[in-house]
Amino acid sequence: MADKFDVIVIGAGPGGYVAAIRAAQMGLKVACVEKWIGKEGKVVHGGTCLNVGCIPSKALLEASHKFVEAQHDFADLGIETGDVSMDVKKMMARKDKIVKNLTGGISGLFKANGVTAIEGTGKVISSKQVEVTDQDGKATTYDADNIVVAAGSVPVEIPPTPLKEGMVVDSTGALEFQETPKRLGVIGAGIIGLELGSVWSRLGSEVTVLEAMDDFLPMVDGAIAKETQKLLKKQGLDIRLGARVTGSEIKGEEVVVKYSDAKGEQEATFDKLIVCVGRKPYTKGVIADGVGIETDERGFIHVDDQCRTSVPSVYAIGDCVRGPMLAHKASEEGIMVADIIAGHKAEMNYDAIPNVVYTFPEVAWVGLTEQEAKAKGIEVKTGSFPFAASGRAMANNATEGQAKIIADAETDRVLGVHIVGQHAGEMIAQGVIALEFGSSAEDLALTCYAHPTMSEAVHEAALAVEGHAIHMANRKKK
Amino acid sequence: DKILAPAARKLVAEHDLDVNAIEGTGKGGRILKEDVQRAVKEGSAKK
Repeated sequence: MADKFDVIVIGAGPGGYVAAIRAAQMGLKVACVEKWIGKEGKVVHGGTCLNVGCIPSKALLEASHKFVEAQHDFADLGIETGDVSMDVKKMMARKDKIVKNLTGGISGLFKANGVTAIEGTGKVISSKQVEVTDQDGKATTYDADNIVVAAGSVPVEIPPTPLKEGMVVDSTGALEFQETPKRLGVIGAGIIGLELGSVWSRLGSEVTVLEAMDDFLPMVDGAIAKETQKLLKKQGLDIRLGARVTGSEIKGEEVVVKYSDAKGEQEATFDKLIVCVGRKPYTKGVIADGVGIETDERGFIHVDDQCRTSVPSVYAIGDCVRGPMLAHKASEEGIMVADIIAGHKAEMNYDAIPNVVYTFPEVAWVGLTEQEAKAKGIEVKTGSFPFAASGRAMANNATEGQAKIIADAETDRVLGVHIVGQHAGEMIAQGVIALEFGSSAEDLALTCYAHPTMSEAVHEAALAVEGHAIHMANRKKK
Repeated sequence: DKILAPAARKLVAEHDLDVNAIEGTGKGGRILKEDVQRAVKEGSAKK
């Protein structure tokens, strides 16, 4: 008879590992099941985010950005560098070291909190039983009062461009190139596509991004998306909208992609192709037939606002359930679920989840866009402030972008904060806090911001909502 | 000992309202600008 647990978590990504740690902190006996095999052939914790997602992509974005700065921007500051070169293998090794440190860190946190780490593939076989199959195929059944499914997601593959190792790759493969491809194709101009395209473009690839939709970043506020598109184009990303990929062919060392756009049938030839059209929930085989847990036609596990599945003792969180596929969303759900299992009342605010695109400049937003507010029939007031008018941005040599605030015209409550600019991902936290506390635009306007900081753009945007920005000429009220 | 958002504090002072008569609907019972706007409109928090 195997051990019995209060909680068994399936998956040790940002949702699962956080749920496991929180549940253990609440005094529960917890196990976390993980099957991910790392580069050294052993099971690693951290899931997609740490191993092949957030962290490695940020390591490459940061390194490639510094390379661009050294090559093109340092001279503006009076720094003479001579020729600057990039050792891609070394850049990759640094990334791998960061991943190793962090994934090992989670295993350490499990030990410190008394979470039992179980290695293998977890499957819910009844409302209170999890079967784990280890690497040798040996199956063990564990009992649990509660089960949390945090199985995550995997990249979507599309029939016109089947993957071919090292040549036609998904996001994981794109984080592993050992040299800079000369011509790189990216299918999908979403967050992942723009970030990976940016990395390799900065290192010298000629990058073409093919996007089927006609609108660029449709989930981003219109004004911010428009400025971002312009900035990325200036950096050399050839973003082609309304371009539907219909097929591909590998010819020796090249991959030829066929697509159709407004002008008809087109063809483009690349040395490497990255397919990043989206991610799908990874739920196949995670739940045995007959347990009674409902999934929808796309594979998402059906849950209520508190992440309860249709079986009371089983919860599901993160990318395998509805909502934005973001690490911090998964983690917050993990905390909520652990607290509920421990007997507390818990809920999370799905209206105040920040989004960040880690291009340069970064794009970050929280809450409603202007177009979403209008679609909901809400009358809004908006205020914007360009970083071109920010003293700190000038000192930083980073004057591109703007901050924008959207407020309810009647109550002045902040409905959305949108930023494109250096450190937008850090600055957006203040927008999240504003939304969480029901802040008005005037509340932000009456708040003292440190000078000189990039955050002052948010202050000025809040002042601009009433036409009272100090450091720019305000738009005349209509 | 109610907590007021900065804009709520300003509006309460402008209208010389009784803070204790205003219900806060913000996080942890904080009084928001919109709560004061409502009190002004309804004349419910006069001193």
